Amino acid sequence: MIHVSYGCAIAIFCIGLYTLITKRNLFKTVIGLSIMEGGVLLFMVASGFIPEAGPPLLPMVGGSVNPLPHTFPLTAIVIGASDVALALAYIIKIHRHYGTVDVDKIRGLRG
Amino acid sequence: MNPVLAVVAPLSVGFLVPLVHIFKKRHTGMSVIISAGICSVVSAVVALSGWDGVAVTMGGWTPELGISLMVDRLSGAFLLLAATGFPISLACSMESFGYSPWRFYVLFFLSWGAVNGIILTGDLFNMFVFFEIFSVAAYLMVSYPPRSWQAVEASFKYLIFGTVGAMFLLLGIAYSFMATGQLNLGILSQMMASVPPVTLSVIGGCLVVGLFVKSGTAPTHFWLPDAHSSAQTSVSALLSGVLVKVSVYALIRLSFLLFFPVMREVFSVILFLGTLSVILGHLMAFQQEDIKRLLAYSTVAQIGTILIGVGCASSFGVSAAVYHCFNHMTAKMGLFLVAGALAEDRASRDISHMSGLWAHRPLFVAAFALFAVSLAGIPPFSGFMSKWLLLLASTKEGHIVPALAIVAGTVVSSAYYLKVLRAFFSPSETPVPHRRPRPVSGRLVALLSVLCVLLAAAPFIPGASSVLFSVGDSAVDGASYRDVVLGK
Repeated sequence: MIHVSYGCAIAIFCIGLYTLITKRNLFKTVIGLSIMEGGVLLFMVASGFIPEAGPPLLPMVGGSVNPLPHTFPLTAIVIGASDVALALAYIIKIHRHYGTVDVDKIRGLRG
Repeated sequence: MNPVLAVVAPLSVGFLVPLVHIFKKRHTGMSVIISAGICSVVSAVVALSGWDGVAVTMGGWTPELGISLMVDRLSGAFLLLAATGFPISLACSMESFGYSPWRFYVLFFLSWGAVNGIILTGDLFNMFVFFEIFSVAAYLMVSYPPRSWQAVEASFKYLIFGTVGAMFLLLGIAYSFMATGQLNLGILSQMMASVPPVTLSVIGGCLVVGLFVKSGTAPTHFWLPDAHSSAQTSVSALLSGVLVKVSVYALIRLSFLLFFPVMREVFSVILFLGTLSVILGHLMAFQQEDIKRLLAYSTVAQIGTILIGVGCASSFGVSAAVYHCFNHMTAKMGLFLVAGALAEDRASRDISHMSGLWAHRPLFVAAFALFAVSLAGIPPFSGFMSKWLLLLASTKEGHIVPALAIVAGTVVSSAYYLKVLRAFFSPSETPVPHRRPRPVSGRLVALLSVLCVLLAAAPFIPGASSVLFSVGDSAVDGASYRDVVLGK
Protein backbone atom coordinates (compact mmCIF):
# COMPACT_ATOMS: atom_id res chain seq x y z
CA MET A 1 0.00 0.00 0.00
CA ILE A 2 2.81 2.39 0.90
CA HIS A 3 4.06 2.17 -2.67
CA VAL A 4 0.86 3.85 -3.80
CA SER A 5 1.65 6.86 -1.59
CA TYR A 6 5.17 7.06 -2.96
CA GLY A 7 3.84 6.83 -6.50
CA CYS A 8 1.25 9.53 -5.80
CA ALA A 9 3.86 11.85 -4.32
CA ILE A 10 6.14 11.49 -7.32
CA ALA A 11 3.18 11.87 -9.69
CA ILE A 12 2.25 15.13 -7.95
CA PHE A 13 5.85 16.30 -8.26
CA CYS A 14 5.80 15.57 -11.99
CA ILE A 15 2.44 17.34 -12.42
CA GLY A 16 3.94 20.39 -10.78
CA LEU A 17 6.98 20.28 -13.04
CA TYR A 18 4.74 19.87 -16.09
CA THR A 19 2.64 22.86 -15.03
CA LEU A 20 5.77 24.93 -14.55
CA ILE A 21 7.13 24.06 -17.98
CA THR A 22 3.98 24.35 -20.09
CA LYS A 23 1.93 27.20 -18.63
CA ARG A 24 2.58 30.74 -19.87
CA ASN A 25 0.78 32.48 -17.02
CA LEU A 26 3.03 33.61 -14.18
CA PHE A 27 0.48 32.70 -11.51
CA LYS A 28 0.17 29.19 -12.92
CA THR A 29 3.95 28.91 -12.85
CA VAL A 30 3.92 29.67 -9.15
CA ILE A 31 1.05 27.22 -8.64
CA GLY A 32 3.20 24.59 -10.36
CA LEU A 33 6.04 25.39 -8.00
CA SER A 34 3.73 24.97 -5.04
CA ILE A 35 2.43 21.64 -6.36
CA MET A 36 5.99 20.37 -6.79
CA GLU A 37 6.76 21.29 -3.24
CA GLY A 38 3.62 19.52 -2.04
CA GLY A 39 4.73 16.36 -3.84
CA VAL A 40 8.14 16.37 -2.14
CA LEU A 41 6.61 17.01 1.27
CA LEU A 42 4.10 14.17 0.88
CA PHE A 43 6.95 11.93 -0.15
CA MET A 44 8.93 12.81 2.96
CA VAL A 45 5.97 12.27 5.26
CA ALA A 46 5.21 8.92 3.63
CA SER A 47 8.81 7.80 4.07
CA GLY A 48 8.35 7.64 7.84
CA PHE A 49 5.76 4.88 7.59
CA ILE A 50 6.54 1.50 9.11
CA PRO A 51 4.02 -1.32 8.54
CA GLU A 52 1.87 -2.30 11.52
CA ALA A 53 3.30 0.38 13.78
CA GLY A 54 1.33 2.77 15.93
CA PRO A 55 1.67 6.51 16.37
CA PRO A 56 4.82 7.62 18.21
CA LEU A 57 3.13 8.40 21.54
CA LEU A 58 4.11 7.59 25.10
CA PRO A 59 3.50 5.04 26.57
CA MET A 60 4.87 3.01 23.66
CA VAL A 61 3.01 -0.14 22.78
CA GLY A 62 4.83 -2.20 20.20
CA GLY A 63 6.62 -0.32 17.38
CA SER A 64 5.86 3.17 16.19
CA VAL A 65 6.29 4.96 12.90
CA ASN A 66 9.41 7.09 12.44
CA PRO A 67 8.51 10.64 13.58
CA LEU A 68 11.74 12.23 12.29
CA PRO A 69 10.69 12.62 8.61
CA HIS A 70 7.59 14.46 9.81
CA THR A 71 9.69 17.25 11.22
CA PHE A 72 11.58 17.97 7.99
CA PRO A 73 8.46 19.09 6.10
CA LEU A 74 7.81 21.70 8.80
CA THR A 75 11.04 23.44 7.89
CA ALA A 76 10.51 22.84 4.19
CA ILE A 77 6.96 24.30 4.39
CA VAL A 78 8.32 27.52 5.88
CA ILE A 79 10.95 27.76 3.14
CA GLY A 80 8.40 27.00 0.43
CA ALA A 81 5.99 29.60 1.81
CA SER A 82 8.68 32.28 1.71
CA ASP A 83 9.61 31.33 -1.87
CA VAL A 84 5.98 31.48 -3.01
CA ALA A 85 5.38 34.76 -1.16
CA LEU A 86 8.42 36.32 -2.80
CA ALA A 87 7.35 35.04 -6.22
CA LEU A 88 3.87 36.51 -5.80
CA ALA A 89 5.36 39.84 -4.71
CA TYR A 90 7.46 39.90 -7.88
CA ILE A 91 4.39 39.06 -9.97
CA ILE A 92 2.57 42.05 -8.46
CA LYS A 93 5.49 44.29 -9.40
CA ILE A 94 5.68 42.85 -12.92
CA HIS A 95 1.92 43.22 -13.36
CA ARG A 96 2.04 46.85 -12.25
CA HIS A 97 4.62 47.61 -14.88
CA TYR A 98 3.42 45.56 -17.86
CA GLY A 99 -0.27 45.16 -17.06
CA THR A 100 -0.08 41.47 -17.94
CA VAL A 101 1.01 38.18 -16.43
CA ASP A 102 1.54 36.42 -19.75
CA VAL A 103 5.16 35.32 -20.13
CA ASP A 104 5.14 35.83 -23.90
CA LYS A 105 4.26 39.51 -23.57
CA ILE A 106 6.93 40.27 -20.98
CA ARG A 107 10.19 41.19 -22.63
CA GLY A 108 12.80 39.82 -20.25
CA LEU A 109 11.14 36.51 -19.47
CA ARG A 110 11.17 35.07 -22.97
CA GLY A 111 13.38 32.09 -23.71
CA MET B 1 38.22 27.98 16.78
CA ASN B 2 34.73 26.58 16.89
CA PRO B 3 33.40 26.34 13.31
CA VAL B 4 29.93 27.46 14.36
CA LEU B 5 31.28 30.99 14.88
CA ALA B 6 31.78 31.39 11.14
CA VAL B 7 28.03 30.86 10.66
CA VAL B 8 26.84 32.72 13.74
CA ALA B 9 28.91 35.88 13.22
CA PRO B 10 27.47 36.98 9.83
CA LEU B 11 23.94 35.85 10.74
CA SER B 12 23.94 37.83 13.98
CA VAL B 13 25.36 40.89 12.19
CA GLY B 14 22.55 40.50 9.67
CA PHE B 15 19.96 40.73 12.42
CA LEU B 16 21.76 43.49 14.32
CA VAL B 17 21.97 45.88 11.35
CA PRO B 18 18.28 46.93 11.61
CA LEU B 19 18.68 47.55 15.36
CA VAL B 20 21.74 49.72 14.78
CA HIS B 21 19.80 51.55 12.10
CA ILE B 22 16.94 52.27 14.49
CA PHE B 23 18.93 53.28 17.57
CA LYS B 24 22.27 54.62 16.23
CA LYS B 25 21.50 55.76 12.72
CA ARG B 26 24.75 57.70 12.35
CA HIS B 27 26.90 54.66 13.07
CA THR B 28 25.26 52.24 10.63
CA GLY B 29 27.92 52.53 7.93
CA MET B 30 30.85 52.27 10.28
CA SER B 31 29.38 49.31 12.17
CA VAL B 32 28.66 47.46 8.92
CA ILE B 33 32.27 47.93 7.80
CA ILE B 34 33.71 46.84 11.14
CA SER B 35 31.45 43.81 11.44
CA ALA B 36 32.28 42.74 7.88
CA GLY B 37 35.95 42.86 8.86
CA ILE B 38 35.23 40.79 11.96
CA CYS B 39 33.20 38.22 10.02
CA SER B 40 35.93 37.91 7.43
CA VAL B 41 38.64 37.43 10.05
CA VAL B 42 36.51 34.90 11.94
CA SER B 43 35.90 32.87 8.76
CA ALA B 44 39.58 32.94 7.88
CA VAL B 45 40.60 31.87 11.39
CA VAL B 46 38.04 29.05 11.36
CA ALA B 47 39.36 27.92 7.98
CA LEU B 48 43.00 27.98 9.05
CA SER B 49 42.52 26.51 12.53
CA GLY B 50 40.45 23.69 11.08
CA TRP B 51 42.86 23.03 8.24
CA ASP B 52 43.62 19.51 9.46
CA GLY B 53 40.02 18.70 10.27
CA VAL B 54 37.83 19.92 13.12
CA ALA B 55 34.22 18.89 13.70
CA VAL B 56 31.61 19.82 16.27
CA THR B 57 28.13 18.39 16.67
CA MET B 58 25.60 20.91 17.83
CA GLY B 59 23.75 20.57 21.12
CA GLY B 60 25.93 17.77 22.52
CA TRP B 61 24.22 15.05 20.47
CA THR B 62 26.04 12.22 18.77
CA PRO B 63 26.68 12.70 15.02
CA GLU B 64 23.89 10.21 14.23
CA LEU B 65 21.29 12.51 15.79
CA GLY B 66 22.70 16.03 15.83
CA ILE B 67 23.87 18.44 13.17
CA SER B 68 27.61 18.31 12.58
CA LEU B 69 29.68 21.26 11.43
CA MET B 70 32.99 20.31 9.94
CA VAL B 71 36.05 22.07 8.52
CA ASP B 72 38.65 20.32 6.45
CA ARG B 73 40.95 21.51 3.68
CA LEU B 74 38.29 21.60 0.98
CA SER B 75 35.80 23.55 3.08
CA GLY B 76 38.63 25.70 4.45
CA ALA B 77 39.63 26.71 0.93
CA PHE B 78 36.07 27.71 0.06
CA LEU B 79 35.67 29.55 3.39
CA LEU B 80 38.73 31.60 2.47
CA LEU B 81 37.21 32.27 -0.95
CA ALA B 82 34.00 33.57 0.66
CA ALA B 83 35.98 35.57 3.24
CA THR B 84 37.80 37.36 0.40
CA GLY B 85 34.90 37.83 -1.99
CA PHE B 86 32.27 39.16 0.40
CA PRO B 87 34.27 42.13 1.81
CA ILE B 88 35.31 43.17 -1.72
CA SER B 89 31.70 43.18 -2.84
CA LEU B 90 30.65 45.00 0.34
CA ALA B 91 33.24 47.74 -0.22
CA CYS B 92 32.01 48.19 -3.78
CA SER B 93 28.36 48.35 -2.75
CA MET B 94 29.21 50.86 0.00
CA GLU B 95 30.71 53.06 -2.68
CA SER B 96 27.77 52.84 -5.03
CA PHE B 97 24.82 52.75 -2.57
CA GLY B 98 26.23 54.62 0.41
CA TYR B 99 25.36 53.64 3.98
CA SER B 100 21.64 54.19 3.84
CA PRO B 101 20.18 50.97 2.37
CA TRP B 102 20.33 48.93 5.55
CA ARG B 103 17.91 46.38 4.04
CA PHE B 104 20.54 45.51 1.48
CA TYR B 105 23.15 44.94 4.17
CA VAL B 106 20.78 42.66 6.08
CA LEU B 107 20.41 40.49 2.97
CA PHE B 108 24.13 40.66 2.35
CA PHE B 109 25.08 39.34 5.77
CA LEU B 110 22.31 36.71 5.74
CA SER B 111 23.66 35.33 2.50
CA TRP B 112 27.19 35.40 3.91
CA GLY B 113 26.11 33.40 6.96
CA ALA B 114 24.21 30.93 4.80
CA VAL B 115 27.17 30.52 2.44
CA ASN B 116 29.46 29.75 5.37
CA GLY B 117 26.78 27.37 6.62
CA ILE B 118 26.67 25.44 3.34
CA ILE B 119 30.43 25.19 3.36
CA LEU B 120 30.68 24.00 6.94
CA THR B 121 27.67 21.78 7.43
CA GLY B 122 27.98 18.03 7.58
CA ASP B 123 24.26 17.40 7.47
CA LEU B 124 22.32 17.02 4.26
CA PHE B 125 19.04 18.62 5.33
CA ASN B 126 20.84 21.47 7.04
CA MET B 127 22.63 22.09 3.77
CA PHE B 128 19.26 22.42 2.03
CA VAL B 129 18.06 24.93 4.62
CA PHE B 130 21.20 27.06 4.23
CA PHE B 131 20.86 26.80 0.45
CA GLU B 132 17.41 28.31 0.67
CA ILE B 133 18.45 31.12 3.03
CA PHE B 134 21.24 32.06 0.66
CA SER B 135 19.02 31.72 -2.40
CA VAL B 136 16.22 33.91 -1.04
CA ALA B 137 18.75 36.56 -0.04
CA ALA B 138 20.35 36.31 -3.49
CA TYR B 139 16.98 36.68 -5.30
CA LEU B 140 16.34 39.86 -3.36
CA MET B 141 19.85 41.21 -3.87
CA VAL B 142 19.53 40.72 -7.64
CA SER B 143 16.44 42.93 -7.72
CA TYR B 144 18.01 45.60 -5.50
CA PRO B 145 17.19 48.52 -5.82
CA PRO B 146 13.65 47.47 -6.74
CA ARG B 147 13.20 50.31 -9.24
CA SER B 148 14.77 48.49 -12.18
CA TRP B 149 12.20 46.40 -14.09
CA GLN B 150 14.76 44.29 -15.82
CA ALA B 151 16.21 43.28 -12.46
CA VAL B 152 12.77 42.37 -11.07
CA GLU B 153 12.14 40.08 -14.05
CA ALA B 154 15.60 38.54 -13.81
CA SER B 155 15.08 37.99 -10.13
CA PHE B 156 11.71 36.29 -10.74
CA LYS B 157 13.32 34.00 -13.27
CA TYR B 158 16.14 33.22 -10.84
CA LEU B 159 13.55 32.47 -8.17
CA ILE B 160 11.63 30.01 -10.35
CA PHE B 161 14.78 28.18 -11.46
CA GLY B 162 16.32 28.28 -8.00
CA THR B 163 13.22 26.85 -6.36
CA VAL B 164 12.94 24.05 -8.91
CA GLY B 165 16.58 23.23 -8.19
CA ALA B 166 15.88 23.30 -4.47
CA MET B 167 12.92 20.92 -4.92
CA PHE B 168 15.11 18.42 -6.78
CA LEU B 169 17.70 18.74 -4.03
CA LEU B 170 15.03 18.14 -1.40
CA LEU B 171 13.73 15.10 -3.29
CA GLY B 172 17.27 13.70 -3.43
CA ILE B 173 17.69 14.30 0.29
CA ALA B 174 14.34 12.61 1.00
CA TYR B 175 15.36 9.58 -1.10
CA SER B 176 18.70 9.25 0.64
CA PHE B 177 17.01 9.52 4.01
CA MET B 178 14.56 6.80 2.99
CA ALA B 179 17.32 4.55 1.76
CA THR B 180 19.59 4.89 4.77
CA GLY B 181 17.70 6.61 7.60
CA GLN B 182 20.62 9.02 8.01
CA LEU B 183 21.37 12.59 7.04
CA ASN B 184 24.88 13.00 8.40
CA LEU B 185 27.26 13.06 5.44
CA GLY B 186 29.93 11.05 7.20
CA ILE B 187 27.58 8.21 8.09
CA LEU B 188 25.78 8.45 4.73
CA SER B 189 29.06 8.00 2.89
CA GLN B 190 29.57 4.74 4.76
CA MET B 191 26.05 3.46 4.16
CA MET B 192 25.86 4.32 0.45
CA ALA B 193 27.64 1.04 -0.36
CA SER B 194 24.65 -0.91 0.94
CA VAL B 195 22.08 1.01 -1.11
CA PRO B 196 20.84 -0.81 -4.24
CA PRO B 197 22.24 0.68 -7.48
CA VAL B 198 18.86 1.75 -8.88
CA THR B 199 18.04 3.78 -5.76
CA LEU B 200 21.55 5.18 -5.84
CA SER B 201 21.12 6.41 -9.38
CA VAL B 202 17.82 8.10 -8.45
CA ILE B 203 19.48 9.81 -5.44
CA GLY B 204 22.43 10.85 -7.58
CA GLY B 205 20.19 12.14 -10.36
CA CYS B 206 18.06 14.28 -8.05
CA LEU B 207 20.97 15.77 -6.08
CA VAL B 208 23.09 16.46 -9.16
CA VAL B 209 20.21 18.01 -11.14
CA GLY B 210 19.38 20.25 -8.17
CA LEU B 211 22.96 21.43 -7.83
CA PHE B 212 23.34 21.92 -11.59
CA VAL B 213 20.32 24.22 -11.61
CA LYS B 214 21.68 26.13 -8.63
CA SER B 215 25.14 26.51 -10.14
CA GLY B 216 23.92 27.48 -13.62
CA THR B 217 25.41 24.64 -15.64
CA ALA B 218 24.60 24.47 -19.34
CA PRO B 219 21.13 23.09 -19.97
CA THR B 220 19.72 24.92 -16.94
CA HIS B 221 21.74 28.12 -17.16
CA PHE B 222 18.95 30.41 -18.42
CA TRP B 223 18.59 32.31 -15.18
CA LEU B 224 22.28 33.07 -14.84
CA PRO B 225 22.92 35.58 -17.66
CA ASP B 226 19.78 37.53 -16.76
CA ALA B 227 20.44 37.62 -13.04
CA HIS B 228 24.14 38.39 -13.31
CA SER B 229 23.75 41.07 -15.95
CA SER B 230 20.81 43.02 -14.56
CA ALA B 231 21.95 43.14 -10.93
CA GLN B 232 23.99 46.05 -9.60
CA THR B 233 27.74 45.89 -10.18
CA SER B 234 28.70 44.78 -6.69
CA VAL B 235 25.97 42.12 -6.63
CA SER B 236 26.99 40.78 -10.05
CA ALA B 237 30.56 40.52 -8.81
CA LEU B 238 29.38 38.69 -5.71
CA LEU B 239 27.09 36.33 -7.66
CA SER B 240 29.75 35.39 -10.20
CA GLY B 241 32.65 35.40 -7.80
CA VAL B 242 31.33 33.66 -4.72
CA LEU B 243 27.71 32.53 -4.76
CA VAL B 244 27.97 30.28 -7.81
CA LYS B 245 31.09 28.66 -6.34
CA VAL B 246 29.14 27.59 -3.28
CA SER B 247 26.94 25.32 -5.39
CA VAL B 248 30.12 23.97 -6.96
CA TYR B 249 31.47 23.28 -3.47
CA ALA B 250 28.29 21.41 -2.56
CA LEU B 251 28.61 19.41 -5.78
CA ILE B 252 32.24 18.48 -5.03
CA ARG B 253 31.43 17.57 -1.45
CA LEU B 254 28.34 15.48 -2.15
CA SER B 255 29.61 13.74 -5.27
CA PHE B 256 32.89 12.68 -3.69
CA LEU B 257 31.48 11.69 -0.30
CA LEU B 258 28.40 9.86 -1.51
CA PHE B 259 29.17 8.55 -5.00
CA PHE B 260 32.95 8.34 -5.40
CA PRO B 261 33.42 4.82 -4.04
CA VAL B 262 30.16 3.33 -5.29
CA MET B 263 28.99 5.01 -8.46
CA ARG B 264 31.46 6.62 -10.84
CA GLU B 265 28.77 7.33 -13.47
CA VAL B 266 27.87 10.51 -11.58
CA PHE B 267 31.25 11.91 -12.50
CA SER B 268 30.73 11.10 -16.18
CA VAL B 269 27.53 13.17 -16.05
CA ILE B 270 29.36 16.05 -14.37
CA LEU B 271 32.11 15.83 -16.98
CA PHE B 272 29.63 15.77 -19.86
CA LEU B 273 27.62 18.73 -18.65
CA GLY B 274 30.80 20.62 -17.80
CA THR B 275 32.01 20.18 -21.36
CA LEU B 276 28.62 21.26 -22.69
CA SER B 277 28.74 24.39 -20.49
CA VAL B 278 32.20 25.29 -21.72
CA ILE B 279 31.16 25.07 -25.37
CA LEU B 280 27.74 26.70 -25.02
CA GLY B 281 28.89 29.39 -22.61
CA HIS B 282 31.77 30.56 -24.77
CA LEU B 283 29.71 30.48 -27.97
CA MET B 284 26.86 32.42 -26.38
CA ALA B 285 29.28 34.94 -24.87
CA PHE B 286 30.73 35.51 -28.32
CA GLN B 287 27.35 36.65 -29.63
CA GLN B 288 26.54 39.14 -26.86
CA GLU B 289 26.40 42.87 -27.41
CA ASP B 290 25.81 43.71 -23.74
CA ILE B 291 29.09 43.71 -21.81
CA LYS B 292 27.65 42.37 -18.55
CA ARG B 293 25.74 39.62 -20.36
CA LEU B 294 28.98 38.68 -22.09
CA LEU B 295 30.70 38.35 -18.71
CA ALA B 296 27.75 36.37 -17.36
CA TYR B 297 27.90 33.84 -20.22
CA SER B 298 31.64 33.64 -19.66
CA THR B 299 30.80 32.64 -16.06
CA VAL B 300 28.69 29.76 -17.41
CA ALA B 301 31.70 28.61 -19.41
CA GLN B 302 34.10 28.95 -16.50
CA ILE B 303 31.78 26.98 -14.22
CA GLY B 304 31.87 24.30 -16.91
CA THR B 305 35.67 24.40 -16.83
CA ILE B 306 35.61 23.92 -13.07
CA LEU B 307 33.15 21.04 -13.41
CA ILE B 308 35.48 19.32 -15.88
CA GLY B 309 38.05 19.27 -13.09
CA VAL B 310 35.47 17.80 -10.70
CA GLY B 311 34.32 15.26 -13.29
CA CYS B 312 37.84 13.87 -13.63
CA ALA B 313 37.13 12.15 -10.28
CA SER B 314 40.73 12.49 -9.16
CA SER B 315 42.45 14.38 -6.38
CA PHE B 316 44.50 16.30 -8.94
CA GLY B 317 41.38 17.32 -10.85
CA VAL B 318 39.67 18.67 -7.73
CA SER B 319 42.79 20.64 -6.73
CA ALA B 320 42.90 22.19 -10.19
CA ALA B 321 39.16 22.94 -9.99
CA VAL B 322 39.51 24.66 -6.60
CA TYR B 323 42.48 26.63 -7.90
CA HIS B 324 40.42 27.69 -10.90
CA CYS B 325 37.61 28.76 -8.53
CA PHE B 326 40.02 31.21 -6.88
CA ASN B 327 41.39 32.49 -10.18
CA HIS B 328 37.92 32.88 -11.62
CA MET B 329 36.79 34.74 -8.51
CA THR B 330 39.60 37.31 -8.64
CA ALA B 331 39.42 37.83 -12.40
CA LYS B 332 35.63 37.83 -12.77
CA MET B 333 35.01 40.11 -9.77
CA GLY B 334 37.56 42.50 -11.26
CA LEU B 335 35.96 42.30 -14.70
CA PHE B 336 32.51 43.02 -13.28
CA LEU B 337 33.78 45.95 -11.19
CA VAL B 338 35.54 47.52 -14.19
CA ALA B 339 32.71 46.79 -16.61
CA GLY B 340 30.14 48.19 -14.17
CA ALA B 341 32.12 51.38 -13.61
CA LEU B 342 32.77 51.95 -17.31
CA ALA B 343 29.17 51.15 -18.27
CA GLU B 344 27.92 53.69 -15.73
CA ASP B 345 30.30 56.31 -17.10
CA ARG B 346 29.13 55.59 -20.64
CA ALA B 347 25.48 55.27 -19.50
CA SER B 348 25.22 52.21 -21.74
CA ARG B 349 26.11 48.54 -21.49
CA ASP B 350 26.33 48.09 -25.25
CA ILE B 351 29.85 47.13 -26.36
CA SER B 352 29.60 49.20 -29.55
CA HIS B 353 29.09 52.34 -27.41
CA MET B 354 32.15 51.64 -25.30
CA SER B 355 34.64 53.57 -27.40
CA GLY B 356 37.07 56.14 -26.09
CA LEU B 357 37.36 54.62 -22.64
CA TRP B 358 41.12 54.12 -22.81
CA ALA B 359 41.61 57.87 -22.83
CA HIS B 360 38.94 58.23 -20.15
CA ARG B 361 40.12 55.72 -17.56
CA PRO B 362 43.40 54.13 -18.65
CA LEU B 363 44.04 52.24 -15.41
CA PHE B 364 40.60 50.60 -15.36
CA VAL B 365 40.97 49.53 -18.98
CA ALA B 366 44.47 48.19 -18.32
CA ALA B 367 43.11 46.18 -15.38
CA PHE B 368 40.29 44.89 -17.59
CA ALA B 369 42.87 43.74 -20.12
CA LEU B 370 44.83 41.97 -17.37
CA PHE B 371 41.77 40.13 -16.03
CA ALA B 372 40.55 39.26 -19.51
CA VAL B 373 43.95 37.89 -20.53
CA SER B 374 44.14 35.88 -17.32
CA LEU B 375 40.66 34.42 -17.72
CA ALA B 376 41.17 33.65 -21.39
CA GLY B 377 44.27 31.69 -20.39
CA ILE B 378 47.32 33.47 -21.78
CA PRO B 379 50.55 32.13 -20.22
CA PRO B 380 52.03 34.04 -17.34
CA PHE B 381 48.71 34.73 -15.58
CA SER B 382 46.74 32.74 -13.07
CA GLY B 383 43.94 31.67 -15.41
CA PHE B 384 46.46 29.95 -17.64
CA MET B 385 48.00 28.05 -14.72
CA SER B 386 44.70 26.60 -13.54
CA LYS B 387 43.52 25.81 -17.07
CA TRP B 388 46.82 24.05 -17.68
CA LEU B 389 46.37 21.97 -14.54
CA LEU B 390 42.79 21.18 -15.57
CA LEU B 391 44.00 20.07 -19.00
CA LEU B 392 46.63 17.84 -17.37
CA ALA B 393 44.05 16.36 -14.99
CA SER B 394 41.61 15.73 -17.79
CA THR B 395 44.08 14.08 -20.17
CA LYS B 396 45.59 12.03 -17.34
CA GLU B 397 42.19 10.40 -16.81
CA GLY B 398 41.88 9.83 -20.55
CA HIS B 399 39.20 12.46 -21.23
CA ILE B 400 40.35 14.07 -24.47
CA VAL B 401 37.14 15.81 -25.59
CA PRO B 402 36.76 17.94 -22.43
CA ALA B 403 40.42 18.97 -22.73
CA LEU B 404 39.86 19.96 -26.35
CA ALA B 405 36.75 21.91 -25.31
CA ILE B 406 38.82 23.90 -22.79
CA VAL B 407 41.39 24.69 -25.48
CA ALA B 408 38.76 25.69 -28.04
CA GLY B 409 37.07 27.79 -25.37
CA THR B 410 40.35 29.65 -24.83
CA VAL B 411 40.39 30.64 -28.48
CA VAL B 412 36.77 31.78 -28.48
CA SER B 413 37.16 33.69 -25.22
CA SER B 414 40.25 35.50 -26.53
CA ALA B 415 38.14 36.51 -29.52
CA TYR B 416 35.33 38.01 -27.48
CA TYR B 417 37.58 39.71 -24.95
CA LEU B 418 39.54 41.23 -27.84
CA LYS B 419 36.25 42.49 -29.27
CA VAL B 420 35.57 44.32 -25.99
CA LEU B 421 39.13 45.64 -25.73
CA ARG B 422 39.05 46.89 -29.30
CA ALA B 423 35.96 48.91 -28.44
CA PHE B 424 37.70 50.30 -25.34
CA PHE B 425 40.80 51.37 -27.23
CA SER B 426 39.10 52.83 -30.31
CA PRO B 427 38.84 56.64 -30.26
CA SER B 428 35.44 58.20 -29.73
CA GLU B 429 33.81 61.25 -31.30
CA THR B 430 31.52 61.94 -28.35
CA PRO B 431 33.06 62.59 -24.93
CA VAL B 432 32.27 60.17 -22.11
CA PRO B 433 29.25 61.71 -20.36
CA HIS B 434 29.94 60.92 -16.68
CA ARG B 435 33.02 60.97 -14.58
CA ARG B 436 32.39 60.04 -11.00
CA PRO B 437 35.45 59.57 -8.83
CA ARG B 438 35.74 55.93 -7.77
CA PRO B 439 38.52 55.69 -5.21
CA VAL B 440 37.25 52.49 -3.58
CA SER B 441 36.59 50.62 -6.83
CA GLY B 442 39.99 51.70 -8.09
CA ARG B 443 41.73 50.25 -5.04
CA LEU B 444 39.66 47.06 -5.19
CA VAL B 445 40.55 46.58 -8.85
CA ALA B 446 44.22 47.15 -8.01
CA LEU B 447 44.01 44.61 -5.17
CA LEU B 448 42.31 42.06 -7.43
CA SER B 449 44.89 42.51 -10.17
CA VAL B 450 47.72 41.97 -7.66
CA LEU B 451 45.94 38.82 -6.44
CA CYS B 452 45.45 37.72 -10.03
CA VAL B 453 49.19 37.96 -10.72
CA LEU B 454 50.27 36.48 -7.39
CA LEU B 455 47.98 33.46 -7.64
CA ALA B 456 49.77 32.47 -10.82
CA ALA B 457 52.88 31.75 -8.77
CA ALA B 458 51.11 29.31 -6.44
CA PRO B 459 51.99 26.06 -8.27
CA PHE B 460 55.68 27.04 -8.44
CA ILE B 461 56.19 27.71 -4.73
CA PRO B 462 56.78 24.28 -3.12
CA GLY B 463 54.83 25.05 0.07
CA ALA B 464 51.86 26.57 -1.73
CA SER B 465 51.60 23.80 -4.30
CA SER B 466 51.62 21.09 -1.64
CA VAL B 467 48.82 22.99 0.16
CA LEU B 468 46.91 23.21 -3.12
CA PHE B 469 47.18 19.52 -3.87
CA SER B 470 46.29 18.52 -0.31
CA VAL B 471 42.92 20.25 -0.88
CA GLY B 472 42.11 17.69 -3.56
CA ASP B 473 43.29 14.84 -1.34
CA SER B 474 40.95 15.91 1.44
CA ALA B 475 38.02 16.06 -1.01
CA VAL B 476 38.64 12.53 -2.28
CA ASP B 477 39.41 10.96 1.08
CA GLY B 478 36.02 9.99 2.51
CA ALA B 479 37.58 7.92 5.30
CA SER B 480 39.36 10.85 6.95
CA TYR B 481 36.16 12.91 6.69
CA ARG B 482 34.32 10.17 8.55
CA ASP B 483 37.07 9.97 11.16
CA VAL B 484 36.85 13.69 11.86
CA VAL B 485 33.04 13.86 11.93
CA LEU B 486 32.57 10.73 14.00
CA GLY B 487 35.35 11.84 16.36
CA LYS B 488 37.79 8.96 16.00
